[in-house]
Amino acid sequence: MQAIKKITFNFINVWAEVISFREVLWQLTRQQIILRYRRTFLGYFWTLLNPILMMSVMAVVFATLFKQDLKTFTVFLFSGMIAWNCFNTIVVQSGKSFIANEGLIKKIYLPKLVFPLSVTLALVIDSLLSFIALFAIMLALGGELSLALLFIPLAYILLVVFSFGIVLVVSVATVFFRDLQYVIGVIMQAWFFLTPLFYKPDALTGKVAWLIKLNPLTSFVELFRAPLYLAVLPSIDVVLHTFLLAVFSLVIGLIFFSRYEKKIIFRL
Amino acid sequence: MSKINIHNVSVNFRIYHDKSPSIKGYFSSLFKSNKDNAYSNYSAVKNVSLVIEPSERVGIIGHNGAGKSTLLKTLCRIYEPSSGIIHVNGKIAPLLEIGAGFHPEFTGRENIYLNGAILGLKKQQIRSLEDGIIRFAEVEEFIDTPVKYYSTGMHMRLAFSLATATQPDIIILDEIFAGGDASFVANAKSRLREMIHKSDIMIMVSHDHELVKSLCNRVIWMDHGQIVADGLPDEIVRQYLAADAIGE
Repeated sequence: MQAIKKITFNFINVWAEVISFREVLWQLTRQQIILRYRRTFLGYFWTLLNPILMMSVMAVVFATLFKQDLKTFTVFLFSGMIAWNCFNTIVVQSGKSFIANEGLIKKIYLPKLVFPLSVTLALVIDSLLSFIALFAIMLALGGELSLALLFIPLAYILLVVFSFGIVLVVSVATVFFRDLQYVIGVIMQAWFFLTPLFYKPDALTGKVAWLIKLNPLTSFVELFRAPLYLAVLPSIDVVLHTFLLAVFSLVIGLIFFSRYEKKIIFRL
Repeated sequence: MSKINIHNVSVNFRIYHDKSPSIKGYFSSLFKSNKDNAYSNYSAVKNVSLVIEPSERVGIIGHNGAGKSTLLKTLCRIYEPSSGIIHVNGKIAPLLEIGAGFHPEFTGRENIYLNGAILGLKKQQIRSLEDGIIRFAEVEEFIDTPVKYYSTGMHMRLAFSLATATQPDIIILDEIFAGGDASFVANAKSRLREMIHKSDIMIMVSHDHELVKSLCNRVIWMDHGQIVADGLPDEIVRQYLAADAIGE
């Protein structure tokens, strides 16, 4: 009981501090977005163009490989990749946020949470914008406009909360073990193939089938795919499952984070 | 009124012989019983207790590595004390590393907003201070140029001008900066003196004993993370120099 009280108190404190430093959070978020496009010819447009080009290549390759209809397959692929790209970039980029801001952290006090949070917020904004671009393409290729689309904001919230919980662990752990920066890349690559993005969840059989079932992202992909590809609401089971995963991830992340955040400065 | 209460504070560092241990090293060390050579503990500040009252101007002197700067950084919350409690009443302005958050790709104006926020200013506040900051820093023509094209002097002027734009309750200084042309240094010094004059508490670290004597009304001598002596500036500086002459 005492422990729970202490943890709850910690949580409130951590977030209250971030709110009092919201001006910094906003400035750092802005910085990420501005820096990405400054001094490139196409500017911010790259943020939209890059995923479209990458996914188009994948669509053509896999549609040919699996002998699928290109248009249907593209809509299928894009709907899942929106979720995956958002998750992947958040975990990889925000995971490095303390190391990237080492100079600042050593010179002035800021609540540690603002570093991973600002990177994550900037990436969510990117993801929402690229969603709009991808969705336009999906519509052109025969995707459907339906009321189920109204579910997308909630799907984003669940996915981002889940991703952020992982970020809290990864970002702190990376300070203690620098090797993780590289290990994460490999893990994400494996995770990508084990997530039903370019195949149907039941397509992968044999020894690794249980991994697909265990993979939390399978449900999150479902959350996006139902309204975007099938034009229906995701089943209540999937919503509940992702909700529990998101809460679990955030709570574990915050416990881990509040336990080690004060040691970060001594290890940078 | 502002007040600082430092109670039995220690700050310990782990010195890693291999700065960042690998995952492999970590797991293999779990199975080894002798963890002797992984790191050693080092106390930069040891059991320091100190109460600083309003209107005190405190100078901290001592050799390099005595723990002076670590103590100041701990006061500014950059380091968390390993043990002990620090209680601060009042708004602190850390002038430890001015321009800490300057981003080279950002223009001077963008950096004013970014760093102003880092220093705890509200957007409206920054907006009303903006012109004054730019004028004092004498960077009017370059304010919309990325700061990576600034000269060292311009960079420092803008950082100083921003850091001293508002009047804090408590000023914390680590070695008074030098640099820039003579007229700016004179302006900066008079601005700083005025700020110190208006503040409740000032704490500074310096190796310039004459400066300490002229600005402070209390001096603390630190050595090896501990307070050796604490009292009136003339007296403590004399003791320190005498001990130094003997060669301790």
